[in-house]
Amino acid sequence: MIEFMFAVAIGMLFGIGVFQLLRRDLIKAAIGFAILFSAINLFFVAVGAFEGDFAPYVSNVEAGRSTSDPLVQALILTAIVVSFGSFSLVLGFVNIISRRFDTVDSNDINKLKH
Amino acid sequence: MELVFISAAPFVLALALALPIAPRILNQTRQTLLSSLVMAALFAWLLSFFPSVQNEGAVVQTFDWAPSLGISLSFYLDGLSLLFALIITGVGALIFFYAGSYFDEASEYNRFMIWLSGFAGAMLSVVLSGNLLMMFVAWELTSVTSFILIGFKGADDAEAREGAFKALFVTGGGALALIIGIIMLSVAAGQILYPEAGLRFAADFSEILRASSLAQHEWYTLFAILIILGGFTKSAQFPFHFWLPGAMSAPTPASAYLHSATMVKAGIYLFARLSPVMYQNELWSGTLLTTGLLTMLVGAFFAVKQRDLKALLAYSTVSKLGAIVAMLGLPGQIGVKAALVGIIAHALYKSALFLVAGTIDHATGARDIDKLGGLRQRMPAMFAVTVISALSMAGMPFFFGFVAKEVMLDAMLRYEGSLSLLVMLALIFSAAFTAMAAYMLIYDVFLKQPRHKLHFHKPPSLIRLAPLLLSALSLSLGFLLEPVITPLLTPAVPKSFELHLFAGFNDVFALSLGILLAGFALFLARRPVIARIDLPLSCDMIYKEMLEYIGWAGRSVLHTQSGYVRYYLSIILGAVSLLLLVSNTLPSWGEILSYIPSDLSLTITDLAKVFMLILTVTAGILTVVVREHVKAAIAYGVIGYAIGVIFLIEHAPDVALVQLLVETMATVLIIIMLGRIRTRTRYNVIQNLWRGRHSYKLGLVRDLVISFTIGGAVFIFSLIALRNRPEQQSIAQWHLDNARLVATEDVVGAIVADFRGTDTLLEIAVFTTAALGVLTLLARGRQSGSAFVPRTAQVGSLREFDDEVVDEIQDATSLSTPFTRTVSYIVLPIAILIGIAQILYGGVGPGDGFTAGVTIGLAVSLWYIVLGYDEAKRQLPWFRPEIITRLGLVIAIVNAAIPLLLGRGFMEHVQYDQELGIYDLVGSFGLHLTSSLIFEIAIAITVMGGLGIIMEAIAYPAARSNGGQQSTDAVHATE
Repeated sequence: MIEFMFAVAIGMLFGIGVFQLLRRDLIKAAIGFAILFSAINLFFVAVGAFEGDFAPYVSNVEAGRSTSDPLVQALILTAIVVSFGSFSLVLGFVNIISRRFDTVDSNDINKLKH
Repeated sequence: MELVFISAAPFVLALALALPIAPRILNQTRQTLLSSLVMAALFAWLLSFFPSVQNEGAVVQTFDWAPSLGISLSFYLDGLSLLFALIITGVGALIFFYAGSYFDEASEYNRFMIWLSGFAGAMLSVVLSGNLLMMFVAWELTSVTSFILIGFKGADDAEAREGAFKALFVTGGGALALIIGIIMLSVAAGQILYPEAGLRFAADFSEILRASSLAQHEWYTLFAILIILGGFTKSAQFPFHFWLPGAMSAPTPASAYLHSATMVKAGIYLFARLSPVMYQNELWSGTLLTTGLLTMLVGAFFAVKQRDLKALLAYSTVSKLGAIVAMLGLPGQIGVKAALVGIIAHALYKSALFLVAGTIDHATGARDIDKLGGLRQRMPAMFAVTVISALSMAGMPFFFGFVAKEVMLDAMLRYEGSLSLLVMLALIFSAAFTAMAAYMLIYDVFLKQPRHKLHFHKPPSLIRLAPLLLSALSLSLGFLLEPVITPLLTPAVPKSFELHLFAGFNDVFALSLGILLAGFALFLARRPVIARIDLPLSCDMIYKEMLEYIGWAGRSVLHTQSGYVRYYLSIILGAVSLLLLVSNTLPSWGEILSYIPSDLSLTITDLAKVFMLILTVTAGILTVVVREHVKAAIAYGVIGYAIGVIFLIEHAPDVALVQLLVETMATVLIIIMLGRIRTRTRYNVIQNLWRGRHSYKLGLVRDLVISFTIGGAVFIFSLIALRNRPEQQSIAQWHLDNARLVATEDVVGAIVADFRGTDTLLEIAVFTTAALGVLTLLARGRQSGSAFVPRTAQVGSLREFDDEVVDEIQDATSLSTPFTRTVSYIVLPIAILIGIAQILYGGVGPGDGFTAGVTIGLAVSLWYIVLGYDEAKRQLPWFRPEIITRLGLVIAIVNAAIPLLLGRGFMEHVQYDQELGIYDLVGSFGLHLTSSLIFEIAIAITVMGGLGIIMEAIAYPAARSNGGQQSTDAVHATE
């Protein structure tokens, strides 16, 4: 059951992120971009090979307690920081666009053609 | 191992010449000596392989590259590649020497030699590589260096640019075909050699040459055609020959080297290399034979019409290349001997002739045959070279070219195809025209009286050396067949053979003499003959038409472009969703229903998770429906925190800690960024979105459908993934069991800093790159290290620029109250202490380098927010983010490299406390001094520096950054 709920939440978050990206408001698009990252991180923590009742510490393992999957956690750990880096880059882009074109509406910018 | 050095040596030479200090240490003479000595040494070194090639057949040296794919860095030296490599290095040494006197200007010479040596390395790699894929890489390198050398004078010569582009267009296009052919051939060879191995590349020559049934493979037709296309474009075969005359804008040493002696023979090398496994098929031999003959005719025919000396030589090269290709196409490999002798002879006489052309150009400034004349007295050495080389080209008895022509005629006479008479005629015809061109070279350039007086300045005397040596070889090699040529060719020719300078008065000799006489007759009647040579349509014209069409097609495609990034995104994502819907990737409705669980029971922890998930999704929906950006940003922050709590419930304390910290940072970042965008701008977009125009409804539906489909697909994907988890066989169990090996209590920390340490190293590098990106975007024009500017100046410039701007968080300085200042003063030292504690004791509890870095970074960003850029810079003079980041990365890399010095693997775990015998001392503080601890420190420093860079960029006053302003001008300028 909880897996189903996780899948629903991940799907919805992803859909929201994509929707935000498709809208005209660049600021919200940046937020949508960040929501996509969150959805992916959520997916990773949910998809860990096994669940346990204790944090993955050596002492817990040696005591024979069931621990959570450390591998996905390590993957997310670095992913969070890197996604923050790219998120700040996106914000930087939005900022520079607003300064350069005096708008954050992507419908007002079609300079790609020229 | 030696072969690696041989093929790398010219590259090293190129790099050495490219060093900024090279021209200062070495003058032109010394550079010349150095580079030609390197080539000569390589020639000698290659020659030393000759005995082993003779005895063993092939020297193979292999280094694993991607062994699972069957790709290796391998070198293969057999008779064929040795012959080519000797030509490349031998002729190369002479031409390198010649180039030293050809160029008058030292800087130009240096630039030329860098690229010429680079080309030599690439060309040597083509013939020495033992793997088709590696050969292809080198093949492309020769195209690129050739492009640069043809366009050498491109800066002020449109023709050179055009010629360079043409050459790259044709050879590069052929290479596209070639790579597909190579991949198909390698897969086919893999199927033949390892029938049970599935998809496996067999790209090594030692493998391919064993796959003898390649010619019967079902893909044969396709890959043979593709490979032939690649070879034809490179070796200037009809109808792709037109790029070679166009390439004559290159400086003459390059023309002599690339476009006559070596590069244009790469295609021939490829054909000769693959012939043993390809020739059994009619397609291969038929195509090579007909195209070769046609090229031979076209080249010989048009050569005599050329007025430019180099163009004449280029067309005659085309003709000779065609003849060699035709020889390779003779069935049963009977023409291989003739082809190889032809290659040697051609390399010798044609590069000598090119060098003569270059010398004449250098001396008189003219290359037009009609203007030249009477140079015999002024350039006697060049006259001698031309007589010898041109007669060798014509096939005059007892020159080396004569031998080449004899064996060629002999091979043709033995050819018993249906059209053997026609083939013979073509050969005779083109040979006669070649002889005519040779006579023209001698008479028109050196003997006849020039129409106008020629400008003449004496070239340096050393310029004569290389052409003289080359022509001496043309003269003498004919008499050295037994001791030199026959043993050299024996390992490269499949059958045993004999070579004779004079085989008696047989029919071949009679033919030879007949050709020479016919050539002389044509020469006497040259004016009417040349006047008749004309074709209404040349390949060059077709090429130009084609370029026009490509340009036209490009312009028409542009009409379909909107230029709005948003629409491209909808098209991409819409296409993805359409694919998902149309293809049967998505499960059917019934299947989806079956996924809905029947058991609805939840434990208490599950309930908590569900609550947090609902919170996440609700906040997500809120970011869509709220209008104000600040509220959306706060809703986004809620998502981040809720996910952090989920991490906590999932027993992932480290991740939760990082998530909470980073999310705080991200939310702060959005809000500051909002403050830097004009309120009116943001208001406008909200107005546009919520009181939209007519198309609004349709667009909304489209976006909703796309995002719903993609969200649904992600939902199904994650549901399937979540239901099929690997459980206990996962590698995660291994990490749990082995974490104690690296003396870390926290398994996640052990994975980040040890087991997957290289990954982490790259991740922090990526993070730094992103941070630098923000800096370049927002703080352009900022002088690095410009610590403090008086604050009044900052405020002044703000006013001047931002009169109507920003009413909310106008500038960060507006947050500066005594209270906030005190808080930020207090927070920073505490944060630093927490960070240090997290690094040192992160091994036993939650927290690691990342959290430490983000914690300190947060405290520093508080300073920037509260005090503003200039004040923070003044108060924290030690906080220089770029330097800190650099320091962190350097520590990380050095720490990763130290185990290499200790004879272990890159980034291997080292317990320094035990190595140094201070285990108990450090242990009494509860610490373990290991490489992972140092790596954690490096991570913390890098992340802190990266965050600092981002904060500095954001806090940097917009008015002072010339990024936006300057670029607006640039945009206007392009319109």
